[in-house]
Amino acid sequence: MNKAARYIGMGFSSFHCLLISFVMLLLQGCGEASIPSSYTQSDAEPDIWPDYRDVTIPPNIAPLNFMVDSVDDVVAELNIAGSKQTYGGKDNKVQIDEKEWHNMLSAAKGKSLSVSVYTKKDGKWLAYKPFAIHVAEEEVDPYVSYRVLPPSFVGYDELSIRQRNLTNFEETTIYNNRQISEGLEGQCINCHSYQNYGTKNMMFHMRFQHPGTMIVNDGELLFVNLKDESMISAAAYNSWHPSLPIIAFSTDHTMQSFHTRVLSKVEVMESASDLVIYDIKKNRVQTVLNDSAEFELFPSWSPDGKWLYYCSAHYEYENGYENTEELLQRYKSLQYNLYRLSFDASTMSFGEPELVYDAVSQDRSAVQPRVSQDGRYVLFAEGPWGLFHIWHTTADVKMLDLQTGRLVETRAMNSPLPESYPSFSSNDRWILFESRRDDGNYTRTYLAYFDKNGCVHKAFEVPAEDPEYFRLLLRSWSRPELMKEPVRISPKQFYEKALTEPIKVSK
Amino acid sequence: MKKVKEQKETRAKGNSQPSRQIPFSKSILPVFYSIAFAVLAWYFLYVRNADTMFFMQDRGWWNSTQLFWDSCMSLPGGLLSWTGAYLTQFFYYPALGCAMLILLWLVTFGLAKWSFKVADEWSFLLFIPLTALLCSDIQLGYWVYILKAVDYVFCHSLGLFAALLLSVPFWRYLPAKEQTQRWIALSWIPLVAALCYYPLGIYALLAAAIVTINNSKLKIKNDGLLQLFTFHFSLFALLLLTLWLVPLLETSGTTMMRPEQPWTYGFQFFELDTLRDRSFEAPFYIVFAAAFLFPFLGKLKAGKLLLSQSLMVVVGAGMFFCLAVRDFDDYNFHAELRMQRGVEECRWEDVLREAAKVKGPVTREMVMFRDIALINRGELCSKRYIYNNESIPPVTMSDSIHLRIADQAADLIYYNYGETIFAIRRAIERCMHYGFSYYTMRMLTQCAIVNGEADNARKYLRLLSRTTFQKKWADEMLRYVNDRKLMAENERFRMPLRLYNEGSELVGIDDKYVELTIMKKWMYSMTNDPVAQEVALGCAMMMRDRKCFWSQVQQHYNINPETPFPTHVQEAMLFEVYRMNMQGVNLSFVKFDERVVERYKAFEARLNQYLSQGMNEKQIGAALRPEFGDTYMWDYYALRQVQTN
Repeated sequence: MNKAARYIGMGFSSFHCLLISFVMLLLQGCGEASIPSSYTQSDAEPDIWPDYRDVTIPPNIAPLNFMVDSVDDVVAELNIAGSKQTYGGKDNKVQIDEKEWHNMLSAAKGKSLSVSVYTKKDGKWLAYKPFAIHVAEEEVDPYVSYRVLPPSFVGYDELSIRQRNLTNFEETTIYNNRQISEGLEGQCINCHSYQNYGTKNMMFHMRFQHPGTMIVNDGELLFVNLKDESMISAAAYNSWHPSLPIIAFSTDHTMQSFHTRVLSKVEVMESASDLVIYDIKKNRVQTVLNDSAEFELFPSWSPDGKWLYYCSAHYEYENGYENTEELLQRYKSLQYNLYRLSFDASTMSFGEPELVYDAVSQDRSAVQPRVSQDGRYVLFAEGPWGLFHIWHTTADVKMLDLQTGRLVETRAMNSPLPESYPSFSSNDRWILFESRRDDGNYTRTYLAYFDKNGCVHKAFEVPAEDPEYFRLLLRSWSRPELMKEPVRISPKQFYEKALTEPIKVSK
Repeated sequence: MKKVKEQKETRAKGNSQPSRQIPFSKSILPVFYSIAFAVLAWYFLYVRNADTMFFMQDRGWWNSTQLFWDSCMSLPGGLLSWTGAYLTQFFYYPALGCAMLILLWLVTFGLAKWSFKVADEWSFLLFIPLTALLCSDIQLGYWVYILKAVDYVFCHSLGLFAALLLSVPFWRYLPAKEQTQRWIALSWIPLVAALCYYPLGIYALLAAAIVTINNSKLKIKNDGLLQLFTFHFSLFALLLLTLWLVPLLETSGTTMMRPEQPWTYGFQFFELDTLRDRSFEAPFYIVFAAAFLFPFLGKLKAGKLLLSQSLMVVVGAGMFFCLAVRDFDDYNFHAELRMQRGVEECRWEDVLREAAKVKGPVTREMVMFRDIALINRGELCSKRYIYNNESIPPVTMSDSIHLRIADQAADLIYYNYGETIFAIRRAIERCMHYGFSYYTMRMLTQCAIVNGEADNARKYLRLLSRTTFQKKWADEMLRYVNDRKLMAENERFRMPLRLYNEGSELVGIDDKYVELTIMKKWMYSMTNDPVAQEVALGCAMMMRDRKCFWSQVQQHYNINPETPFPTHVQEAMLFEVYRMNMQGVNLSFVKFDERVVERYKAFEARLNQYLSQGMNEKQIGAALRPEFGDTYMWDYYALRQVQTN
C-alpha cells in the first residue's frame, strides 16, 4: 500500500493522493539494487533496525523493511530455495516490494528466508554473515487496532484509535478525538475491544466531553451511559462474552502519581474496583463482585464463555474507608493475583472465585489475563506491584499452562524493559503485546510466534513501511487488539452518535 | 477592445501627467515607503523584540523527516505550515530571521503593487495588511508559551503572499480572445481553491475571493446591463459555491478536525479552553479585509499627490500608534525570556545581572531562575536576599491568559533542581497541549541523559539532528549519551546530576504548583552532600518552616562543623530566636559574624521604633527597605504576602 492511501484516512483529498502516487511511482522506478562486485566479508551478523534476525513471522505479514545505522548504503539479498531478490541500494534503508515479498513468503511457508546484508561506508563495502527469517505455516489475524497517543500522563488533547492492516502498511482511523474537541477540554477515548476478533460487535469508551460507551452490536451503533448509582464509576476495562451479547467490566477509581527518582516515572493505582456485566439486549447492569477489600480488575472471558478470568488485589484500608493518601504510601502492597469465576449463562450466575495464579506469594503482581482459544493457556502481564505494567521496567509477559499449572518459558519474547497487554491471535499461534524495549518510553506493538509444541519464539516489531518510522514517531501505540476484519463503522458515524444523548442503563 | 485600450491610454496619460509638474520622479515613492516600512519593522521586530522572536523560534518545531512532512500535509494549510516552520528556524539568529521576514513583506508589497496596478503615490496603502502582520508578531506576550502554531511567525505572511501570487490575473496576458479569458478567469476561481486548499488552507480561499473581486471589474464591450448583472451574479455565486464546497469535499474523510473547522483552517484563532481573545485576531481580520480591497486600489487616481501624501502621513502615524500600543513591552515578560535562555545556556552571571536590574516586583519564575543561578554559584544562602524577592502574585500577568509556571518553563526549573521525572512529565504534557518544540526536545534529551535513558536520549537527538540549527547541539549531547563520565565536567549537567543523585524518592503530584512542590520536597530532604544540603536549607528558609529550618541547620552543622554558616542563615537564626521567640534553641555553637549581629540589632531597634510609632506592616516594610532590604529579616517581615507559584 502506498503512502497516498494512508493520507486518505487522514483526510487528504483524493486528487492530492493521486498526484503524490504518480510522483512516487516515477521516483520508485529510478533505481535498482545490486550486490556489490567487491566487498570485505565479516563474520558477524548485521546490526539491523528493527531486529528481525532469526525471528519467526506469519506468512501474511507485511514486508519486514529494515535499516542499518551509520552506513551510507545498504543492499540486502533475500534468498528462498535459490530464488533471490535484491533490495536497497539508495541509502541506509531496505524497503521490500510488497508483491514480491508476499510471493516469497508463500513459497517459504514452514521454511526460512536467508538474508544477506551488504553495507557501504566511506566507499567500502562490507558483507555480513547471512541471517534467517523463519516463516510459520499459520497466518496472523490481518488487522490490529491500537490507541495512538503521546506518552503523556494527564492530558488527552490528541488521542485516536486506529487500525492497521498487518499484511500491508495501510492505516486508517477508527475514531479521533479531534473530531469532537481540542485542547485541555478534550475528550478521552479508551478501552476498545471486540467480540471474537470480529468488528460487528465492538466497543470503546469516551470520557469527559460527550461521555459514554460506543457499542456496536450486530452492526448497530449504540451510545450508552454505563454508570448507575450502584457502580463506583462508569464502566472501564472490559471483555466481550464470546457468544452472548454480554460485556464484563471493571468499575474503578483510578489515581495517578509520579515518582521523583524511579524510572518507572508513574504509578497508576485503583483505590477501589468491582466487576459488573452489562447485558446489551436488556440494557441492564449486574454486579458480579463488589467486595470492598478486594480490588477486582481486567475481566476476561474464556473462549468457551464458561469462565470469567480477572485479577484482584486484597487491600484493607487502615481506617476502613477509601483513602487515597494512605494508598499512596502503601502502593507497593497493591499486588494482584489471577482468579476466575464459573459462569452459568442460563441463570446468568457466577460461582465462587478460584485462584488461578498466585503472584503475590512471589512478591509480584499479575494482571490483564487472556485465555487461549483452546482454553489451555493464560497470558498475563506480571510486574512488581500495581496494574499499569507498561510503566514498570521489570514487567514481562507471562504464560500459565492451565493443564500443568506451570509457567511457560517466555524469555524469548521479553526484554529488560516493560512488556504488557498480551493477547492470543484467533488461531493461538501468535502473541500480540506491547513493549517499550525500543527506547523505554514509547510503547510499540510486537508479535511473537507460539508454536504447537508450546514454545515461544523471539518477538519482532510490527513492520513499518519506513523502517525508521517508530524511531521517529513521538507517539505510543498502546493496547493492541487483533481483528479478523477492519471496523466498518466510519469515524463520522461514531462522531454523530457521540453527539446524541447516551442511553441510561437499568439495574 | 478599442474602448478598453482607450481607457488604458487615458489612465496612462493621467499617470504620467503629474510627473511633468512635480520636480521628482513619483516612482521613488514606493521605494521610500518600503524603506520606511523596513525601518519600522526592524525597530519593532528586532530592536524591541529580538528576545521574543528567538523564543518563538525555540518553541517552534521543524525537521526534515518524512513523518513531519506527512503530519503537516495531513491538514489544510500543510505546505504553508511546513514552510513557515522551516523559515521560523532562522530566528535562531534573530537579525537573520527579521531580515528574511521583512524581505518577504517587501516582496509581497512589490507583487501586490504590480498585480493590482496601484499608483506609486497610493502604494503605501498596501502596507496596511503588512503592518497588521508585523503587529501579529509583536503583540503576543504570554501567548507565545501556548501557541500551537509552530509556524506562526511566517505562516500568515507566506499565506498572504501565496494568495496574492495565485490571484495574479495571468489570463490577461494570454494570447486569447476576451471571451476565452473570461472563461479562464471564471474557471480559475474554483480551480485555485480546489488545487491549493490543502497546501494553503484558508489562504487558497482568499486567493479565490481576490480572483473573483478582480474579475468583477472586467468590462467587456457590447455587454448590456443584463449581461453584466448575469456575469457578476454568476461570478459571486461561483465564489460562494467554491468557498462552501471545496473545504467540505476536501475534508470529507478527515478525522483531524471538527465539522465546523474546514472553512477557517489556517486562520489564527486565539483560543484556550473557554477563553477566546479576539483582540489578537484583529490583525488577521485586517489582512483579509485589506486583501479584498486590493483589487480596488488600482482605481485610485494618480496625480493627487497632496491628498495621497497627507493620507500617507495619517496612515503612517496610525500604523506606528497601533504597533506601539500592541507591542507587548512588559518588562518582566522580556526579562523572563532572557533569564530562561540564560539558565538554559548556564550563563549564571547574566541571569543574576538580569535579576539585579529589575526595579519593580518580579514574577515567581524570575525568582526561580535567579535561585537556580545562585545554586549553581553556591550562593543561595549567602546572597539570595540581596536580590528583589518582591513578587507579583501568580496568574496576574498583564494579558488575557494568566499562565502559571507549569505552562512556562516548569521543565527547565525542575531539571535544574534535579527533578528530571517531573521535568519530563511537564515537558511531555506541554508537548501534548501546545506541540513539540526544539526547547522541549532538548529538555527531554537532557533529562534522559541524566536518568541514564540512553536509547530515549538518542531518539530525541535523532530528531534534533534533522533540524537546521540544533544539529550541533545534538552532536555535542551524543558524547554524553555515549560516555556518562563526561557529564560531571559539563555545566549543563553538573548541578542537576548532583541534585538528582542526592534527592529523595517520593511519589506524588504537583497540581501545577511547581515552586511549592520543589520547595516542599527539598526542605524535607536530608542529605550529606554539602551542595545539595544548602539547597535544602535554602528551601526551608524560603518556606519559613521552623521545624525544617532547624533540622537543616543541624544537618548543615553536622556536615560543615568548621565552616561559618552562610550570612542569610545567620540572619535567619537570629530572627527566629529573638524576634520569633523560638524556644529551646541554643545558639552557642554558632560562630556569628559580628557584622551580621550588628545589623540584626540595628534591624530590631529600628523595627521596634517603627512599631512604637504605630506604623502598620506595609509602612514599616517600606521604611526598613533602604537599610535592610538585602536581609533575610526584612524579607521575612515585609514579604509575608508573597505567594508561591
